[in-house]
Amino acid sequence: MRKLAVDVVVIGGGSTGAGVVRDVAMRGYSTVLVERADLGQGTTGRFHGLLHSGGRYVVSDPLSATECAQENAILSRIQAGAIETTGGYFVCCPGDDPAFADKFLAGAAATGVPAREVSVGEALRNEPRLNPGITRAIEVQDGTVDGWQLVWGAANSARHYGAEILTYHAVTKIDTADGAVTAVHCTDLKRGEDVVIETGFVLNCGGPWAGQIAAMAGAHPVDVVPGRGIMIAMNHRLVNRVVNRCIYPADGDILVPVHTVSIIGTTDVKVDDPDHLAIEPDEVQQMLDAGEVLIPGFRNSRALHAWAGARPLIKDNRVAAADTRHMSRGMAVIDHTERDGLDGMLTIGGGKLTTYRLMAEHIVDAMCDKLGEKRACRTAEEDMPPSGAGKNYVVTHRLEEREHDRFTEQIICECELMSRKMLTDALAAQPNGSFDDLRRQLRLGMGPCQGGFCSMRATGIALETGHIDIERATALLRLFLKNRWLGLWPILYGDQVRQTALDNWIFAGTLDVEHLPPPDPSVRPEPEIEKKTPVAAVMEAGVRS
Amino acid sequence: MSRVVVIGAGLAGLVAANRLAAGGAKVVLLSKGLGGLQLGQGTIDVFGYAPERVSNPIRTVQALPGTHPYTRVGATNLLAGLAYLKELVPDLLVGDPEANYQLPTAVGAIRPTCLAQPSMVAGNLGAGDRVVIVGLRQLKDFHPQLVAENLARTDLPSGGRAKVRHLLVDFPAREGEIDSSALTYARAFDDPGVRERFARAFIGELESDEIVGLPAVLGVSDPNAWRHVAEKLGHPVFEIPLPPPSVPGIRLNEALTASAKAAGVRFVPGTRVFDFRASDRRVGSVTIAVEPAGREFAADAFVLAGGGFESGALELDSHGRVRETLFGLPLEGADAVPLIHGDYWGGEQPLFTVGVRVGSDLKPLDASGKPVYDNLWAAGGIIAGSAGWAEKCGDGIALASAMAAADSILKELS
Amino acid sequence: MTEVNDRPATTAKAGLEFAGHELSRASLDSCVKCTICETQCPVSAVTPLFTGPKFIGPQAERFRNGESVDHSLDYCSSCGTCTLVCPQGVQVAELNSQARAVMKADHMPIRDRLVSQTTLMGKLMTPVAPLARWALGNKPIRTLMEAAVKVHRDAPMPPAQSQTFQSWFASRPRPATVPTRGTLVFFHGCAGGYFEVETSKKTVEVLEHLGYEVLVPRQGCCGLAQQSNGLFDEATASVLKLCDDLRSSGKDLTIISSSGSCTGMLKHEAHEIMGVSDDRLADVGTRIRDTMEFLLDLHDAGELPTDFAPMPMTVPYHAPCQLKSQGIGKPALEVLRLIPELTVVDSEKVCCGIAGTYGLKKEKYEIAQAVGRPLFEMVKATNPDLALCDTETCRWQIEQSSGVKTVHPIWMIHAAYGLG
Repeated sequence: MRKLAVDVVVIGGGSTGAGVVRDVAMRGYSTVLVERADLGQGTTGRFHGLLHSGGRYVVSDPLSATECAQENAILSRIQAGAIETTGGYFVCCPGDDPAFADKFLAGAAATGVPAREVSVGEALRNEPRLNPGITRAIEVQDGTVDGWQLVWGAANSARHYGAEILTYHAVTKIDTADGAVTAVHCTDLKRGEDVVIETGFVLNCGGPWAGQIAAMAGAHPVDVVPGRGIMIAMNHRLVNRVVNRCIYPADGDILVPVHTVSIIGTTDVKVDDPDHLAIEPDEVQQMLDAGEVLIPGFRNSRALHAWAGARPLIKDNRVAAADTRHMSRGMAVIDHTERDGLDGMLTIGGGKLTTYRLMAEHIVDAMCDKLGEKRACRTAEEDMPPSGAGKNYVVTHRLEEREHDRFTEQIICECELMSRKMLTDALAAQPNGSFDDLRRQLRLGMGPCQGGFCSMRATGIALETGHIDIERATALLRLFLKNRWLGLWPILYGDQVRQTALDNWIFAGTLDVEHLPPPDPSVRPEPEIEKKTPVAAVMEAGVRS
Repeated sequence: MSRVVVIGAGLAGLVAANRLAAGGAKVVLLSKGLGGLQLGQGTIDVFGYAPERVSNPIRTVQALPGTHPYTRVGATNLLAGLAYLKELVPDLLVGDPEANYQLPTAVGAIRPTCLAQPSMVAGNLGAGDRVVIVGLRQLKDFHPQLVAENLARTDLPSGGRAKVRHLLVDFPAREGEIDSSALTYARAFDDPGVRERFARAFIGELESDEIVGLPAVLGVSDPNAWRHVAEKLGHPVFEIPLPPPSVPGIRLNEALTASAKAAGVRFVPGTRVFDFRASDRRVGSVTIAVEPAGREFAADAFVLAGGGFESGALELDSHGRVRETLFGLPLEGADAVPLIHGDYWGGEQPLFTVGVRVGSDLKPLDASGKPVYDNLWAAGGIIAGSAGWAEKCGDGIALASAMAAADSILKELS
Repeated sequence: MTEVNDRPATTAKAGLEFAGHELSRASLDSCVKCTICETQCPVSAVTPLFTGPKFIGPQAERFRNGESVDHSLDYCSSCGTCTLVCPQGVQVAELNSQARAVMKADHMPIRDRLVSQTTLMGKLMTPVAPLARWALGNKPIRTLMEAAVKVHRDAPMPPAQSQTFQSWFASRPRPATVPTRGTLVFFHGCAGGYFEVETSKKTVEVLEHLGYEVLVPRQGCCGLAQQSNGLFDEATASVLKLCDDLRSSGKDLTIISSSGSCTGMLKHEAHEIMGVSDDRLADVGTRIRDTMEFLLDLHDAGELPTDFAPMPMTVPYHAPCQLKSQGIGKPALEVLRLIPELTVVDSEKVCCGIAGTYGLKKEKYEIAQAVGRPLFEMVKATNPDLALCDTETCRWQIEQSSGVKTVHPIWMIHAAYGLG
């Protein structure tokens, strides 16, 4: 058993937790972040990649709109490398009420969200695939964000300030004594070791899982209402700006160009358990229909992958729990002292990725108040390594890099132009990582072939680096193929069927992967990778329907 | 002279075209691009898993139940096809329909196949064999450690295990190139001087009695390149097929294409056949998609050998509907529920067994069991019943159906 | 394939926008990364400098937006082999041509403007042919040219003639035979008008021998060289002007050309690469036939006289890339087979290297030579005196690099019919 002692334990490695641990560390507290899987593997990594301009909320939620506009400007500066300043349009599609655009413009003016109406001709020139029947177009400052880079950027910044980041550590128990939190117990899932962290304060940033965490400390149930949304990544950038429908927020009203793909989102369905997120066929159809409204011919373009995320909404008694969209997106801090008579713990819910830094500021302010200390928040002022104040991300980056290193570096993932060095560097930094962990940082296997050509290369290279042995390498390959399939089969149609047929031809046909020897129990016990990690369970459950 | 249009230039299309031209037909071969042989492993599978590993493929085929495509095309056509293919490409294929080779793959699994290239068969390992897998640093599609360590922990189909180690050799295919394709290496290895330098680069590291496993890049034009390497090393050598581009597949493709051209087949590549005319249950012509107005090819008989889903001959749309994209033929298995399941390791996806139902003369049939068109035949991956990858039977089905279709056409048109 | 809105893009600016936004991505979704295009690419085969058609095509295209960052795509010769061999219908070459045009829009080298002005070059050279021929054959002058505009000093240049085709056609005696089969329009192309005058003459004489009346309207350049150098505005204007020229002879007449590459421009490249969507182009594109394609069609219909004199010889034949891209196979091979005792050996080589104007350029010259070397060897080994090939620049390349006289296949037909 491993023992640690810190001022503050942050539970949850999504954007909120990463933002919080950075803020806590920058204010001079000793702190540890514990996350049961990899960073950004929950809601943060399972959304559409939009960095809100605020436009989406100018009518429905003015406070959120203003916060988004402010945070958008801050993040685009302090995490430039994770953010592409694509700009965006709100467009009135055929059948949409053009008068909503007037409400929109008025709302934008009132909330301080920069917005400007442009001619339909200009919008169509800039985005030639847009529905030519649009009646109005408003330009806003939407951007796109790589959730994993954002969260890793914050975590690395926190490390710089002395924080410890413990991924694959599942919280099992929270000790309390005399009405106050005293320690957090977790299991190191990779080593199978128990870890006890003595602490005086827990910041519960579990998102959709926050209720489960709070219950471990004996708090009254925190009513989190996970809202499930599905997203579909299309093979290329059908648009180069974020395109929103200029209507009251609804399902399938946004198309976001992120990296090399464009992502259509999203649905919103109340679910009971964030570990069981299905990708329902009728929701897929709904997204394709919605895409067709924005981009004629959308159904015939190529879908690559689908996933579901759970919004971490805290229940608001003013609206019915089944209608999660009309619940405030604003953040909510639950003070367990007042609510449960438990000191040393705050739970945060709601919010959105665009405002993750601000949420952290609020919850850490609240903690400082409770501790009776004045320590100022500096997170908006300081750029995050490595690419903090540098240039904003642009989609041509990797193409430019490969143009320069094409005589010295092999390209391992050709679809996403990932070089061998990128892979070996990431392996060195995360020797225990699965290929999905590497994928989130490198986009390995996230392009058109969905791992068809790069999986075997990555396996061979991982083995050659010496970080893993042959049994684990083979198990990782099998797990990666299986996990890719989870997001593939719900949207398998059209061009992606041809790709899948070729991929099957390679793996089942040429390589005969299915008949690789199973792990040898006489040599060592079954590698832990084959056991279901919580997230593997999430993903598997996510499509069981 | 009878005119026949063959659509598709994979194994089925090429074998049918060769056979038809040799039988006196005037053959036009239409293909969208290069056929699928370059994408496969460059051997001929007949039956590999049923679902247990198969050692005698022809006997397995003879014992199949009635739904399998082999039961339509018949073991006789299969045997004739295997013999015919060996005749067409005598330097490239060896083997016995009564016995599968069990050959290592590029991840170190052991894969059954019926006819293999001579350069591969030393990989049919026995207990206690000492093997060294040699990789090339500049070739990213072959990782010798992965192959070697998986092979070493595998129980061989014939019993026992081999003793396997690996070597990585720094041997650029071209100066200044870090990321070379298998084909770039194969072209380099067509040069005897390169082969000699290559052998010298690691001969000192070989141990006595070792069999040398190499990626399948030992020459593309010179069928004896591998023998030369083996001779220079003084060790038996075997090639291991890689993911596309597959050099053994390219060799087969080039040899079959050359023999078809020599037999007088007219090739029109680079164009998709997208339309046809028919009347009185007969296809009159097909039209290829050339700008601006298309181009028609009339013929007395047509062979549909355009493959399955991988080529777009079969298509699944976003509403879940499957169709055969050229003739709109009725499909078998298209209404299976579900067509696709979520378990990657959970057995063949029903989608990939969808195809056309054919009679014993290889004409696509309608629901009532009658030919849809009296002069339309089908061969290869378009035929319903098996995706081929899991059972390792796709090549045999392509071969047997192409033989049967060609012979049926020659008989009818004579 | 993705459906895109096929908006008219007949102006130059629209053409570049089209290239940047629309068609370039239309077939992108079809790519399954199978790498077949790279196995056949003649440039990849000889140099690691080129990252290959899959890389610069469907792969890099997903990363392009705005500023060009991958200048190595300029190593693509636009030969079109990748599109031809792609089993998934990806228009790899078209995509690459468009990406290159977008890249060059901002910084077009003067050389790309000069070598693409084929008509102008022809017009300037004809009246002073001996001098022009001497100048082009003169090493010091070529060296100067290389320094000034970066055209390689050993690159093949068109053989200047002392008479243009048009002046021959206008001044010759009327044909003795009375037309019995109707009327055809002959499109000679720049090369056929100014440099390859003999090929044009023989084509007309064969067609007249078969019983056709042949009309030759005044005609300009198809703009192919401009297009392949990324000058879409000039190329679009040229090709539409040419359509007007060719349509001036009459409606519904079949148009015949012995210039395979110009035929390809009219049939599909102007539309597929530059997005020219114009009824005049569609009309001409539908009616135009390559000479050998036309003869094969006649033969398939049982209408080609096969009273050819025996020609007891063996000749190599090379099918040019731009002909293969037209989806007609290799019609010359089929037609030449009808000549008794003539053995025609298909080179089976992918490309001669020249690819229009690619092999003329200083930094591409060595690559183009390496691409063509197996062909040059094959040609020399098969017949050191004569080779056949359907397009002009390829013939110049083969002849210059192998030393073997290289002519259009119509020369054989002409001779076998006893026409001269």
